[in-house]
Amino acid sequence: MGKKIRVLVAKPGLDGHDRGALVISQALRDHGMEVIYTGLRQSPLQIAQAAIQEDVDVVGLSSLSGAHRTLFPKVVEELEKRGAGDIPVVGGGVIPSVDIPYLLEKGVKRIFTSGSSTDLLANYIKELVDPQTTPVTAPKKIAHIGIAVESIEQASTFYLDSLGLQLEGVEEVQSEGVKVAFIKIGETRFELLEPLNEESPIRKFLDKKGEGLHHIALEVDDIHARLEQLKANGVALINEEAKLGAHNSQIAFIHPNAASKVLYELCQYPEGSEA
Amino acid sequence: MELDSKDLNAKERWEKAVSKATSRFPERKETFTTSSNIKVDRLYQPKGEEVNKELGYPGEFPYTRGIQPTMYRSRFWTMRQYAGFGSAEETNKRFRYLLEQGQTGLSVAFDLPTQIGYDSDDVMSEGEVGKVGVAIDTLEDMEKLLDGIPLDKVSTSMTINAPASILLCMYLAVGEKQGVPFEKITGTIQNDILKEYIARGTYIFPPKPSMRLITNIFEFCNQYVPKFNTISISGYHIREAGSNAVQEVAFTIANGMAYVDAAIESGLKVDDFAPRLAFFFNAHNNFFEEVAKFRAARRIWAKIMKEHYQAKDPKSWKLRFHTQTGGSTLTAQQPDNNIVRVAMQALSAVLGGTQSLHTNSRDEALSLPTEDSARIALRTQQIIAYESGVADTIDPLAGSYYVENLTDEIEKKVNNYLDRIKEIGGAVQAVEEGYMQREIHHNAYEIQKNIEKEEEIIVGLNKFTLDEEVEPDLMKVDEALEKGQIKSLTRIKEKRDNEKVASALAALSENAKNERANLLPFILDAVRVYASVGEICNVLREEFGEYQGV
Repeated sequence: MGKKIRVLVAKPGLDGHDRGALVISQALRDHGMEVIYTGLRQSPLQIAQAAIQEDVDVVGLSSLSGAHRTLFPKVVEELEKRGAGDIPVVGGGVIPSVDIPYLLEKGVKRIFTSGSSTDLLANYIKELVDPQTTPVTAPKKIAHIGIAVESIEQASTFYLDSLGLQLEGVEEVQSEGVKVAFIKIGETRFELLEPLNEESPIRKFLDKKGEGLHHIALEVDDIHARLEQLKANGVALINEEAKLGAHNSQIAFIHPNAASKVLYELCQYPEGSEA
Repeated sequence: MELDSKDLNAKERWEKAVSKATSRFPERKETFTTSSNIKVDRLYQPKGEEVNKELGYPGEFPYTRGIQPTMYRSRFWTMRQYAGFGSAEETNKRFRYLLEQGQTGLSVAFDLPTQIGYDSDDVMSEGEVGKVGVAIDTLEDMEKLLDGIPLDKVSTSMTINAPASILLCMYLAVGEKQGVPFEKITGTIQNDILKEYIARGTYIFPPKPSMRLITNIFEFCNQYVPKFNTISISGYHIREAGSNAVQEVAFTIANGMAYVDAAIESGLKVDDFAPRLAFFFNAHNNFFEEVAKFRAARRIWAKIMKEHYQAKDPKSWKLRFHTQTGGSTLTAQQPDNNIVRVAMQALSAVLGGTQSLHTNSRDEALSLPTEDSARIALRTQQIIAYESGVADTIDPLAGSYYVENLTDEIEKKVNNYLDRIKEIGGAVQAVEEGYMQREIHHNAYEIQKNIEKEEEIIVGLNKFTLDEEVEPDLMKVDEALEKGQIKSLTRIKEKRDNEKVASALAALSENAKNERANLLPFILDAVRVYASVGEICNVLREEFGEYQGV
């Protein structure tokens, strides 16, 4: 266990709405951080001094009065003036999205607007402070189980007739040289994978190992962040960047050497679509 | 007369009150009917049963069914939209626009420096001038704000607390210049300092001298400005800070009792000031609970005033209130959905019998409202008033098993809180100990967790979300405004008679030391000679000290 992350939550300016600041302070404490709340009506100078004195890892600013354009950059400035420009500053409150690029340009690390979840903020701070110790959030579910077959038509009779499952559809993914049949089971599905041509990775798999379990796909929220994190943890990847998969999903494969010879796929579905 | 009304049964007594009221304010129509020509009566009662004493008749104790005998059959609630941004001239333009659009009362929002008693040129004011409301430094700004608005015809509500005495004096001074005598001035100042410590944060002085300023206002207005509402005891901000409906009513009423206690302690008689007390509540999403909340609040206050404080004047028993729809219920996501939220919240306030109403604009979670959004918000009230028919009969949800049960339950739970606050030693003590603040914060945190766990659904936020959203047009305050305001303040400070200012401030300082002195006449003298809000507050800071938070 490293030392606790220390956060200064501050209300710059004259704004008296501290519901958000108080809720966030409580939530970050519940995430194991030490939170110092400044109380109302702090000048940028007072906030910078408090941040240095309290030796915090991050400063969180909250403003609902519209003064953020003046006050947030001033806090960054005051920190820099005192040689503490390395303390990251994040902000939130009623911040019109048109103001966000301006604030980022002025050195604010990130703006969380109304409706952001406290978990999102807490995880962001953890990652900001120490990217190595980012807690691993578990994948949501098994998105599908991929089975390599010579012929979808022949293989599917077992699933559809003997097991009585429903065929959802068949799709060709040209980039992978594969034809895919989707068969729903519970909250997940089987994918029967038939090679479309000699170059298809499925063709190579069939030639080497014959028909059988090909891969297991895990659904994740932020595939890019997840790949970064796996890379940082030294997990071997087949795809270091996500690529386009079936149903407009983004996918990437983890090397089987990392997972007792099982091939895992990460996939992220576009927001709002039914996985 | 007395004997007569005692002999009448309750129904006849109410009917008498109705004919008296309608002779002053005739009903909007001779007969009210539905679209299918079904006649709509003024009031519906259980058939063949005696009327429940807890409900009574409208306009009668305990006022569960409303404070007027005819309610909206005669006049709709006052549609009062809070506005104010940037400079006094700009706000004046918006006021004239709103009056032309059919708004029936003005409501002024002040910027934070004004609310906390700093001049625009104070270092603390940087970045805040004209941001959440209009900047008022001296009487000159007030003159610009109210230019061309006849103060004997328009009633104005001012959201001002710690420096309420100063802004009230400025308003009266503008009236003087227009030739309107104090007795004719109508309006409301918020003047509710306790909820500032609890929830809103624009306090200046510690509780004790703040309570003195408030009772000074009660006394002064009782004598000279009898039509002015001297306080608007506000649950609105308590709710916005994260309380639930019961806490909103409980803490507001506890604060109200603290003001009544302070005024009585300073030597005022309850019936001399209680009729001028007004309330301000929130309207959130749980529709029937909100309706029940308003009905319960009226009943609780009436009983307290009559039974606990022994007020004799029925006007002292009546809880009159303004409602604003819930700002914190609005989402920045899919902001047009907020129009629907506001409409339902507004409807709950109307069914709860509000005296005036502010409907929020759809874009308030994003920034200050644009003119378009402000108009839609006002139109929402007009649609409820003129199209829905809900105002054609009094208290239409009375007798609903559900609503009556909720009303009773809220009353019970509020009374439990009031007992607890009494044990602590009253609202002032509870505020100083941070009791209410903690209760509200716990509830706010629970709400947040429930939303994140999706146990509470907010459409567009944690369910039915959209990926891409278009940013609507937003109203922005001109950044150059701060400089302009500082310039005009500098000019005023040069051209006014600074000797007069100094002597007025010295007199104020002298009298602040004497706890028995009423400070209003001295503040009035100071604003007349263009002493600024900041200067007056600094004199008082010197004498009273500043509140530091819990």
